[in-house]
Amino acid sequence: MADESKTTGTIDYDSIVIKKPSLWVRAYKYRYFYIMSLPVLAVLFVFHYWPMLGIRYAFSEYGLRQIATGQGPDYSVGLANFERLFSDSFFLQSLKNTLILSLVNLALSMVCSVVIALMINEIQHAWGKKFVQTVLYLPHFLSWVVVASIFTLLLSAGADSTGADSTTVGFINAILLKVGIIDEPVAFLSSTETWRGVWYIANRWKETGWGTIIYLAALSGISPDLYEAAEIDGAGRLKQTWYITLPSLTNTILVVFILNLAKVMNVFESVFVFYNDLVYAVSDVIQCYTYRVGLASAAPDYGYSTAIGLFKSVVSLILVTASDIVSKKIRGQGIV
Amino acid sequence: MKKNFARKAAALSLSIVMVSGIAACGGGSSDSTTTTDSADLANPEKPEEITVMMDTIITAENGQQDVADKYEENTGIKLSIEQPDHNNYYEKVTLSFASGTPANVIEVGSTYYPEFANTGVLWDMTDAWDQTTENCKNIIDEDYVDALRIDGRLYGFPMAKGNGTITYVRQDWLDEAGLALPTNYDEFINMLRTFKQRGEGTIPYTAAGFMNNNETPYEIYLREFYQDASPDFVYDEASGQYIDGFAQENFKEALQRMRDAYQEGLIDAEIVTNKTSTCRDKLYSGLVGVMNYWAGSWAQKLEDSVQNADPNAKLTAMPAIEECNYIERVPTAMVITAAADNPAGIFKYFIMYSHDGGEGQMLFTHGVEGKHYEVKEDGTTVALGYYSNPETLVEKSFYAPELSITEWDDPIQLDERIYSSLETFEADRVFASLPLTSDVISENLANLNTVKGEVLANVVHGNMSVDEGLEDYQTRASGYVDAILADLNGGE
Repeated sequence: MADESKTTGTIDYDSIVIKKPSLWVRAYKYRYFYIMSLPVLAVLFVFHYWPMLGIRYAFSEYGLRQIATGQGPDYSVGLANFERLFSDSFFLQSLKNTLILSLVNLALSMVCSVVIALMINEIQHAWGKKFVQTVLYLPHFLSWVVVASIFTLLLSAGADSTGADSTTVGFINAILLKVGIIDEPVAFLSSTETWRGVWYIANRWKETGWGTIIYLAALSGISPDLYEAAEIDGAGRLKQTWYITLPSLTNTILVVFILNLAKVMNVFESVFVFYNDLVYAVSDVIQCYTYRVGLASAAPDYGYSTAIGLFKSVVSLILVTASDIVSKKIRGQGIV
Repeated sequence: MKKNFARKAAALSLSIVMVSGIAACGGGSSDSTTTTDSADLANPEKPEEITVMMDTIITAENGQQDVADKYEENTGIKLSIEQPDHNNYYEKVTLSFASGTPANVIEVGSTYYPEFANTGVLWDMTDAWDQTTENCKNIIDEDYVDALRIDGRLYGFPMAKGNGTITYVRQDWLDEAGLALPTNYDEFINMLRTFKQRGEGTIPYTAAGFMNNNETPYEIYLREFYQDASPDFVYDEASGQYIDGFAQENFKEALQRMRDAYQEGLIDAEIVTNKTSTCRDKLYSGLVGVMNYWAGSWAQKLEDSVQNADPNAKLTAMPAIEECNYIERVPTAMVITAAADNPAGIFKYFIMYSHDGGEGQMLFTHGVEGKHYEVKEDGTTVALGYYSNPETLVEKSFYAPELSITEWDDPIQLDERIYSSLETFEADRVFASLPLTSDVISENLANLNTVKGEVLANVVHGNMSVDEGLEDYQTRASGYVDAILADLNGGE
């Protein structure tokens, strides 16, 4: 057979074996790419993987005394930090608040950012679009301290606890009083009934504009042919949005959702600048709790703080993995 | 804590006995203890460089390096100053300890000082102070040094007097109403009621929160309402035991006073959301009649700022009413860290030098001649303006001159209001003691203070009655309180 093919000049492709270059040859060939990736890998290792060794402190007693005496972490305590964690009612309350505040805020952020992005996308005039985008992005660059000051002024219930003197109330209370919606000023920031609502609004005011950027980028990638075809088929604006725009955005929405889900346990600064003694029950989050018992203490307990951090990471990992699995089940694809 | 110190003292004594024994036996082994011998303490080696971490030293943009350079010129020692952001100062301090490479000298407030001392990260300067022959020893008010002793040992040296808050009253409002300064609580409340009647927009009394949560003493503000009550653990002379101040009858009365005044509209309705800066702004706007704030240089600053809005405004630092005293905090300390190589040298050439009543004191109080102050042709010495704000005169380079703990001839005369507010304050003040510390307190205090803050705010705001509030407190706080009291009283 082989002889025949030689004589007839035909090629037996099945018999051809392409020899794959060895690993070293390939590595040498792409050496510049590997060299370029080294700094990134180094940063990843030094700032993300190396610190993970600190997880072991969660299973130890480790504070200034251990440092001062040079004896190092005392691992004999085992799971004591976790036992303390789960028996502390303040921790459990802060865990509940963290999940409620973060998940509701996440849902609101998805809805608001997508809706605003769609609205911006409809603006025809280039300068008008840029102006609206600029105005919406600006609050993102304000610090939370400034945002809290602005909202505190706007929402002030005035300095008179009897409510008789309304001259010092903030803008919002003044409007509500004037219109007759309320009879006396509402202390929005010191009431457990209103605090979360204010916090959600403040978050959306600050971050919604910034959140639209990724959706606007995705919207610009949708083929105009689809809209043209839909228009020929008689679809109006609303139907085009429902049947073309939103399905096209689904992947982006999913990726943003899952990535943000990984950060739900990290809420801190926005709560820290807004909360007070009257609203701990609805506002205290894990990061604030950690700050109070850990860093703000004269005797920092690094073992306990690490245990809280480890617990947070585990919860985040579970949330991300679960949402990715759900995504794969429903849509056939996830991001992990 | 006492138990821990007793153990430490026993261990130290044992070590000394053992080391002496080895020495007496003629052992040639080197001394491994960190105790510096008497000869070293009396005449230590001069350090080449001293690193310091400070919170209240003059800022970099206002000539901090000038102070360091002048110090080096005077002493031949390089001074490296680290000044973290004020809001994160103690986070940085504790992290620097955790890193194992803290600065040689650190400024530490009284809330943190005993805890740091307790954990062993500070150098014991007792012997160095006892044996020093520096001029500081002759001119200092030793009460302030003794205020920092823990079981007789000294782990930090006072920077200045602890100072405290005093009640400032709009004197012009009082004059208009034909009232004299109140001398008791009834007159005080009557004054607030009179201020309230001035019309809409008036805030009779403002404060930032009900409990000074981050720093002890917790009851340093709102003095007229707290009176003799304290939300902290207090030592009961009669029983010889520590008791929970929050659960006592006098605290219940204090709660009722605050609640009544708040419900009547005499206390700022925004007290819970106020920051101290918010309170000052309200005062500066001419809205506030009474505010409890720091004595000393603030007496001048507050009145000058109020007068920007109302040139006729006048603030008076009020003597304490008969039911209460003002509270002087334990002084802020300069500590030498246990990790420092030459602590005795640092003690002599930095701490003693800065309290020498002469060149060093001038440098660390008023700064550098020609930069922060100048001597005029007529021989008088006057402060210059800050680099960053030439309109405002330099108050201090590090130590507040009006709070000096040494007897020295300060050439710069301050505003009279500063001295008079301090005089009024000191006439009616009691000294706070160092906060209690132990591992059990550290573990429970944050949560306990959260409960206290919640109960206080809810009672005063009228969300619950005083009795309901105290019942809620007993329910939620008893675990923390019992643990702390058992620890405190178990060591007696």
